[in-house]
Amino acid sequence: MCASVKYNIRGPALIPRMKTKHRIYYITLFSIVLLGLIATGMFQFWPHSIESSGDWSVEKRSVRDVPLVRLPADSPVPERGDLSCRMHTCFDVYRCGFNPKNKIKVYIYPLKKYVGEAGVPVSSTISREYNELLTAISDSDYYTDDVTRACLFVPSIDLLNQNSLRVKETAQALAQLSRWDRGTNHLLFNMLPGGPPDYNTALDVPRDRALLAGGGFSTWTYRQGYDVSIPVYSPLSAEVDLPEKGPGPRRYFLLSSQVALHPEYREDLAALQARHGEAVLVLDKCSNLSEGVPAARRRCHQQQAFDYPQVLQEATFCMVLRGARLGQAVLSDVLRAGCVPVIIADSYVLPFSEVLDWKRASVVVPEEKMSDVYSILQSIPRRQIEEMQRQARWFWEAYFQSIKAIALATLQIINDRIYPYAAISYEDWNDPPAVKWGSVSNPLFLPLIPPQSQGFTAIVLTYDRVESLFRVITEVSKVPSLSKLLVVWNNQNKNPPEDSLWPKIRVPLKVVRTAENKLSNRFFPYDEIETEAVLAIDDDIIMLTSDELQFGYEVWREFPDRLVGYPGRLHLWDHEMNKWKYESEWTNEVSMVLTGAAFYHKYFNYLYTYKMPGDIKNWVDAHMNCEDIAMNFLVANVTGKAVIKVTPRKKFKCPECTAIDGLSLDQTHMVERSPA
Amino acid sequence: MQSWRRKSLWLALSASWLLILLRVFPVLRLAEPARRQAGAPQGWPRWLDAELLQSFSQPGELLEDGPQPPQAPRGGSCYRGACFDASRCRGGGLKVFVYPAVGPISETPRKVLTSIEGSRYHTASAAEACLLILVLSPDTPAGECHPELPQWDGGKNHLVLSLHPAPCLRIFQLGQAMVAEASPTMDTFRPGFDVALPLLPEAHPLRGGALGQLQQHSPLPGVALIAMAEERGGWRTVGTNFSACPWDGRCEQDHGPKQTHPRATLPNATFCLIPGRNPDALHFLQALQAGCIPVLLSPRWELPFSEVIDWTKAAVVADERLPLQVLAALQEMPLTRVLALRQQAQFLWDAYFSSVEKVIHTTLEIIQDRVSGASAHPSLLWNSPPGALLALSTFSTSPSDFPFYHLQQGSRPLGRFSALIWVGALGQPPLKLIQAVAGAQHCAQILVLWSSKKPPPPRWPETAVPLTVLDGHRKRTRFCVMREGRGTTLLSQASDRFLPYSAISTDAILSLDAHSSLSTSEVDFAFMVWQSFPERMVGFLTWSHFWDETQGGWGYTGERANEFSMVLTSAAFYHRYYHTLFTHSLPKALRTLADESPPCVDVLMNFLVAAVTKLPPIKVPYGPWHQEAKPPLVPGSPRLRSEPRPAAQDCINQMAAGFGHMPLVSSRLRLDPVLFKDPVSVLRKKYRSLEKP
Repeated sequence: MCASVKYNIRGPALIPRMKTKHRIYYITLFSIVLLGLIATGMFQFWPHSIESSGDWSVEKRSVRDVPLVRLPADSPVPERGDLSCRMHTCFDVYRCGFNPKNKIKVYIYPLKKYVGEAGVPVSSTISREYNELLTAISDSDYYTDDVTRACLFVPSIDLLNQNSLRVKETAQALAQLSRWDRGTNHLLFNMLPGGPPDYNTALDVPRDRALLAGGGFSTWTYRQGYDVSIPVYSPLSAEVDLPEKGPGPRRYFLLSSQVALHPEYREDLAALQARHGEAVLVLDKCSNLSEGVPAARRRCHQQQAFDYPQVLQEATFCMVLRGARLGQAVLSDVLRAGCVPVIIADSYVLPFSEVLDWKRASVVVPEEKMSDVYSILQSIPRRQIEEMQRQARWFWEAYFQSIKAIALATLQIINDRIYPYAAISYEDWNDPPAVKWGSVSNPLFLPLIPPQSQGFTAIVLTYDRVESLFRVITEVSKVPSLSKLLVVWNNQNKNPPEDSLWPKIRVPLKVVRTAENKLSNRFFPYDEIETEAVLAIDDDIIMLTSDELQFGYEVWREFPDRLVGYPGRLHLWDHEMNKWKYESEWTNEVSMVLTGAAFYHKYFNYLYTYKMPGDIKNWVDAHMNCEDIAMNFLVANVTGKAVIKVTPRKKFKCPECTAIDGLSLDQTHMVERSPA
Repeated sequence: MQSWRRKSLWLALSASWLLILLRVFPVLRLAEPARRQAGAPQGWPRWLDAELLQSFSQPGELLEDGPQPPQAPRGGSCYRGACFDASRCRGGGLKVFVYPAVGPISETPRKVLTSIEGSRYHTASAAEACLLILVLSPDTPAGECHPELPQWDGGKNHLVLSLHPAPCLRIFQLGQAMVAEASPTMDTFRPGFDVALPLLPEAHPLRGGALGQLQQHSPLPGVALIAMAEERGGWRTVGTNFSACPWDGRCEQDHGPKQTHPRATLPNATFCLIPGRNPDALHFLQALQAGCIPVLLSPRWELPFSEVIDWTKAAVVADERLPLQVLAALQEMPLTRVLALRQQAQFLWDAYFSSVEKVIHTTLEIIQDRVSGASAHPSLLWNSPPGALLALSTFSTSPSDFPFYHLQQGSRPLGRFSALIWVGALGQPPLKLIQAVAGAQHCAQILVLWSSKKPPPPRWPETAVPLTVLDGHRKRTRFCVMREGRGTTLLSQASDRFLPYSAISTDAILSLDAHSSLSTSEVDFAFMVWQSFPERMVGFLTWSHFWDETQGGWGYTGERANEFSMVLTSAAFYHRYYHTLFTHSLPKALRTLADESPPCVDVLMNFLVAAVTKLPPIKVPYGPWHQEAKPPLVPGSPRLRSEPRPAAQDCINQMAAGFGHMPLVSSRLRLDPVLFKDPVSVLRKKYRSLEKP
């Protein structure tokens, strides 16, 4: 009652007086609606807030609010930088410790605003690009926020453009970083080095032992194997949408689009244009630029105006001449347009030249040969030019197109130096995805004929057909090159026969008992296999003579990367059923051999057990079938080569037929590539 | 009753309001349980005003950075563009002159001189050359280091070459000369200008060279994982149960079972650890030869030919300061990578290091690549078998034009072939053969190389494919005139048939003699086989070579045997590239030898292909009914064995000497069509006439 009194007092403000029954009804309705609203709200926000939990953890702040650091005028300045630095002298590899993932850990110093004694800032706090760069590192696997575990340190002091910082004060700011230690293991990013009038090719800020990822290195300032040469990022990469244009001949053969060229170069270019006419297009600044179009987006030739960078797609070759700096942002635009850069900048260390093969995407011409450039380019065959165009575009997509791509490629290069045994290969860096898909790298590529003396190991998979097994053992043991016989006993319910019952043979015989009755046991890389050649043979194949097996082994020696077997099978595309079918009738082509009797390299056992794609292995084990097809697919997929069928004179179906007049061999014509 | 209902309703109401409040006021979020897991990295902040940040460059700054005049090369620093005048090499390509030795010289410099003189880039005139080589001898006394060289010109376009550390190299005023030095230190090495050579042992063979020791692809079980290079030479194998660094004195006692090997023995292990000090570079080559994966511990020297060879595929460069990590990484390295490294190390040894000649020719090839710019060898040609010395960039720079790279490129050879019929001195027009070949499914063209004395017939049979007659006379007459002065008359020059004729438009060549006889079925099937083995020769008639104990030399025979190692080029498929290789890469002496004795041409071609592929040729079935049709004088008839013709038998020995080793490999098998001689109906067989004429 008391509550109701209270209610009566306060009630009117909230709910109009009505009958209790109605009141309850409305209140309930109201609460349900409210709860529903809340629930919807929660539903909308809940998953989102889980996804971007980073947003919650990372403080959203303004760049303007970062703490201020005042540098005393006499604070120390690092040494100028040691040109003889190499990874094994200046880099403290102990900090990288051992990491099972073979990944270096990168720490980023928190952002601070540095001011000189007089309160003048030493540089603009941070540029958009450097912020993107640090964000990219922070989002990558390399990042750690634990300064004690870090192997590489990236200062948040923006050094991308030397013109926007004060050299000495910036150096002082670097020197007072908490882990600076003469710059050891510090990575500095710079894209525009030097300043007027002499434009050094490396950042002028004294940096002692710090690694420099710089755009525009020359061979004199670049410390091979220590610094990283990076591209100068072109802001047009993000601003302009330029769809890919396929390779092929284009309207102009050679184009120059740079605006600030030395008069000497201009003269050379004009001479080129005069000599070759329409094929060469030399562009310059537009004198009467219409309002609203940024200068960066227009180029002119006499009175004709062109859109930049679209015009680059009209040319086969594009000049990249040295300016005051060696690194030019135009290189990025040119690559993006699929135009082959003609680099005329002596001693320029091309971006990522440590790993990228620039011969495949560019033509480097010495400055003094500039007048011959046309004839040099003319001598390149068309097919090669198209290849270069494709490669140029791929380089841009992979390593130039965003600040993130540049940052990650830089870290990958350093990572590969520290963990060379896990480094990614030349092909990974340089081959466009289309090539990577089409190519097969045979794991046994070295042409070798293994010595006959080594012999082969026969592996017999058996369940309980002991009698037939013993016949196979006796038969196989007659083969001169047999060096060991391995019986894989796949029956867990029954023990193999006692030692005394086994046939006495001249080579060691080992019985391996398996834990589970699985067909894959036949392809396990047992330690007992000491030879490279493996003969997989079923416990019911008794019709092969020792001569046939010996010949099969010799055939395998000449083709150690292939499956060499006796009964052959063919796979065919069934047009009616729209799927692959499997043919075992006598046919004119063979694409598989049964592993009931086949020689192969023991490496394929390793691949089958550990590297089989997808769940094929489990499927085979579950269905107790098709292990031979799986093996055939695996070998064909990894080597790109067909099987070889050795013809048994005694047919598998009629052991009574005999016709022995020298063995011969069958060649198959289908190279099997399976997507599996 | 009503009261508790009302209470609960109010409770619900206030609870919902509280929830709303919680969402609205972020301050209250602190009350929520921390969603962030402890230890998850606190990343770079997402600035609220990130969009407002300025770009690193001012507008226009990237466009105009102040024009700068072209710079002259700075003193002392050389790179190719500045110090090497490549324009002198234009036109005729690279021409190399080598200063003759002054006074007596030791063994190795002599080998170097011989190798340079045997190169196809060599010229005897210093004026014509665009590269002049000065070979430094290690035993020149320091006082005599400044030879008077008339063409020196500050070292411009010069290469100073030293296979062994020569004291002169440190004293010599190099000027603008390039340096090709064994294991140069990284600090003095100028990438792209100098050439890093391997440090060769004293008694390195001139030609052919010591074969690689790798006999199988995967490591033998039980072989030591790691061998460690010893300071005094030799190797020490280390067990795998060490707890610390085997190269550090501190942990000497922690070694597992170890074995020391005497000096000059090749290591027998999977990985070979080589310290980074300069003298240890010698171990590097031993490891390569042994097929042991070199693990270089912070090398202070530039790896040999690092400009073109991708050493990451064959060796591991590790940091000696991280012993445990390195050892763990080696132990855990996946088998796939171990196999690849092993094979690549061995391939590089065979391709570039096994003889002085190969080392020198590789050096010249690198400089040739620099000169030729865009038509240099692509990296793939340098770094996969058979290597850039055997894959001539003058043939093509596109890997899919060669027979070796189809797998890597995902390409296939062209599906047609050209029949090249050679009509020798006394030959008749091979009308029947032309009909048989023209009927083949994949024949694209027939080329008749007419070298007969008689004029070619005015009319040729009508064929389904174009027929072209090439005149084989011009070259022969020139040769005859040349030789007539000495009183020798040669009827034909046998090696003409292997010239790279531009009329050949397909990848495959079916080489035939006028008196060969083949059926269409045989041609069809052989071509099918060749498409699977484009780098090998596929032939019908075979010879085999053998070591003749009684004469102490090689011999060969056409007798039917269980083995063969050569196929006759009177009926064989092979890749067009071998014509280019035959003409441009073989030493002139060997080609002259072949010209003087026609059967030698077959031997030479087989030597060449075997040296490139290191594999035997392939034999396909050939009907027994052809044998009778063969004239008895055709080389390969059993008479050769019983009455060895001295010149012909001897050429195999001279060629083995010319190659430096015996490249031929024997095979014991023949490839037949599926169903060949199988007990099924003839109608079901694809190549039925193979079994019946």
